Amino acid sequence: MRPRSHLLLAAPAVVFLAVFFVLPVAAVAVDALGEGTRAFVRVFSLPEFWPSLEGSLLLTLVAASISTAVGFAVALHLSRLPERQRTLYSLVVALPLTFSGLIVAYGFILGYGRAGFFTQLLGWLGADPAIIGKALFTPGGLAFASSYYLIPRVVMGILPVLVNFDRAQLVVAESLGATPAQALRHVLLPQVAAPLGNAFCLVAAVVFGAYGTALALVGTQLRILPLQLYSLISETGTDFPAAAALALMITAACAAIMTTGEWFGSRHERHL
Amino acid sequence: MTEMPSVRVEGASFSYPGGKAGVFDITIDIAPGELVVCIGPSGCGKTTLLKLITGLLPCSAGRVWLGGEDVTTASVRSRQCGIVFQSYALFPHMSVWENVAYPLRVRAVDRTERRRQAEAMLDTVGLRGYSERLPAALSGGQQQRVALARALVFKPRTLLLDEPLSALDAATRISMRDEIRRIQKQQNIASLLITHDRDEALSLADRVAVLRDGRLVQIAPPQELYDRPADAFVASFIGRTNLIDGRVVAPDAVDTAIGRIVTPAHAMPMGAAVRLLVRPERIEPSSTETGENVFAATVVHDRFFGASREIELSVGQGMLKIDTTVRGTIAHVHLPRQAVQFLPTH
Amino acid sequence: MIPRWITVAYFLYLASPIALLFIGSFGDLWLNSLLPTGITVKWYLDVAADPNFRRAFMASLFVAVMTSVACVAIGLPLAYAVFRTQSQRVRAAARVLYQLPVAMPALVLAFGFILVFSSDTLPWLGSIWLLVAGHIVLWLPYFLQTVVADMQRLGLRVLEDAAETLGSTPLQRFFHIVLPALRLSVLSGLIIVVALSIGEFQFSNLIAGFLNRTYPVVLLQAFYGATGFACAATVILLTLALIASFTGAFVARGAARLSVAGDER
Repeated sequence: MRPRSHLLLAAPAVVFLAVFFVLPVAAVAVDALGEGTRAFVRVFSLPEFWPSLEGSLLLTLVAASISTAVGFAVALHLSRLPERQRTLYSLVVALPLTFSGLIVAYGFILGYGRAGFFTQLLGWLGADPAIIGKALFTPGGLAFASSYYLIPRVVMGILPVLVNFDRAQLVVAESLGATPAQALRHVLLPQVAAPLGNAFCLVAAVVFGAYGTALALVGTQLRILPLQLYSLISETGTDFPAAAALALMITAACAAIMTTGEWFGSRHERHL
Repeated sequence: MTEMPSVRVEGASFSYPGGKAGVFDITIDIAPGELVVCIGPSGCGKTTLLKLITGLLPCSAGRVWLGGEDVTTASVRSRQCGIVFQSYALFPHMSVWENVAYPLRVRAVDRTERRRQAEAMLDTVGLRGYSERLPAALSGGQQQRVALARALVFKPRTLLLDEPLSALDAATRISMRDEIRRIQKQQNIASLLITHDRDEALSLADRVAVLRDGRLVQIAPPQELYDRPADAFVASFIGRTNLIDGRVVAPDAVDTAIGRIVTPAHAMPMGAAVRLLVRPERIEPSSTETGENVFAATVVHDRFFGASREIELSVGQGMLKIDTTVRGTIAHVHLPRQAVQFLPTH
Repeated sequence: MIPRWITVAYFLYLASPIALLFIGSFGDLWLNSLLPTGITVKWYLDVAADPNFRRAFMASLFVAVMTSVACVAIGLPLAYAVFRTQSQRVRAAARVLYQLPVAMPALVLAFGFILVFSSDTLPWLGSIWLLVAGHIVLWLPYFLQTVVADMQRLGLRVLEDAAETLGSTPLQRFFHIVLPALRLSVLSGLIIVVALSIGEFQFSNLIAGFLNRTYPVVLLQAFYGATGFACAATVILLTLALIASFTGAFVARGAARLSVAGDER
């Protein structure tokens, strides 16, 4: 009835976000673009930039792929369970969402570090502990650890879609002559492709911008972009415009991945 | 007028921003104890009309009176309308009796008294013993009763029901229909019920108001509405129809695609284009082959429903629908002259 | 079935770090052996006695509580405005806000804070209130999303209309209907905020002043020391997160039970 007075309620939050969100982001943008493209050129000429970009891309691709694949399989299994059981398991799956990245990091050091529980177990089975113990501290190993808090996001995103999926469709497909695998590929997959794409993008953006777990696992030696930015910021006598340029690039990448994910999401909504 | 109507809507209009359909120039009176059912296709403005009476939307033109008082500009809460919302809108965090007692609570009735009144009203709607439950623990029909009790407990000036039965399954719907009627008569309160279900409208209403595209097309008691619909829209909306277009050839005859139809005497000019309405159940299979309004017919489609049959017939150059209990083959039909009526052509 | 085995393997993967952390925290000595030897609670006593950890714990608690207070104070009105608005633009803005925590890495926000609040006009860097402000920006979207979703699920708009026709004043509607109906989702939103805030590392690590370092920031230093001590310090954080998850689930179940069948549309 009085739509304007309702918007007035938003005012305190809007003012707050203007000062503590828009202003800092604007400051980063201004610093980065203040000298035209020169700050960006300096970032590109940093010796660690290209290896870090490569590391970030590898980490993001591997982590998002593993998480989406495992998350889909887990969600598929949970969606077939009775509701009570599903609720209980979902609660367990969601636990890592509230975990600090540090918990994950130290837990994985205990499990897969140089003297980790599973490293030693695998050693007894004939694997070389020296190789396994080092693997955790590479981008691939970081992807393995990061999946810990990424998989729950995938499961939570996909599970409702799978629960609402009418399984009779698979039965119909099989009654029409499809094998179970064909039924999955022709009937189920096309219907969940968009939500899967959405989940993939979401976790890719999360892992692309994160540095906490990596810092706790390996320190700043690991070559990924957020850690490089972290080093730039925390070093003394820093080239702030260059750091700002790097920050802007990371944000742009994350935002672009998220936007792609939203596009998948909207495609799914249109489907319904 | 011997008695002031409980509800009077006079020339009420409202249009939504962006040109979405609203209502235009609606006038309705509801007498004390009368139940008016407002019916129309979805988007015709039924719910808008209800919101204008409650004040949830403001009239852009026209006036609203409740209990003889002009409430056109009055606030929603001062109007004292009891409403049963389509979703029931029960407060999920309050128990059944707290829901029912809520209007008394905001009127500062003390706790024991409002509990007593709520219990009494729950008794009336047949929910004795459910006071302490939460709405989520009730079936759809029971939630409906709670909503009804809550809308009545504060002795409102009018009871307004927005598609109260649409969320219920078929069996509950019919028993709730009778319940609503019983309670409404017992409370003797002027009521407006909104629906899109014509059986509901015809069986419940003292009078039915038909809305189309935001305008009131006709308001009349159910029988009158059925027997003398204002136009082809009302006729088809309220029942099955044969609509036959033709041209006047005599003061009591019209030439149509199915042949020359003899009608009750009329004052239409010769050659005028007219539209005739004949209800399918008024057409009889004929054992004779000749006579007034007897036509040769060929069965095109025959649906058997046990008690009756719905048959589509090819007659002359046109088609006729008939509803009959007659078994066996049909070769001729008879349209009794009194069953033929004129509808205005638009 | 393949998904079934993947799920079993996944639950092992999920449980093993948690189990190892708990085991390690009660182990006397854990050096190049499969599992620690000896049982002890000394590491917990050590953490509890450590002044750095005590101070960090209080700082984290303070930040979490203040963030929650702010979420209710400015987030609840914002949620209501977003819920009631007809404007497509405001809704689109809200959707963007929901995406922010992911699209805008905490690291970048922290850097922006360093740029803006180390200036002479706004010299707030190092203040715990600045830390609180950052956490509000980080977690407000989660709170907002939880509460707005609940308003829509409850059909709050119709409930308010109903209350209004039954004769209530705007103030009565707020205290009798809006607040009580939303209390569970506000609570579960706050549990999420507290859990995330207490575990937050990436922002606080750069913004917290030396005297108001939060628990995770101090925890990182412990990783370079004795295994048992690091495990115990981590388990404390882990336990808080677990408690939050289970309470949150419990509250959410209560909220679902309140939902009336007729309102689910």
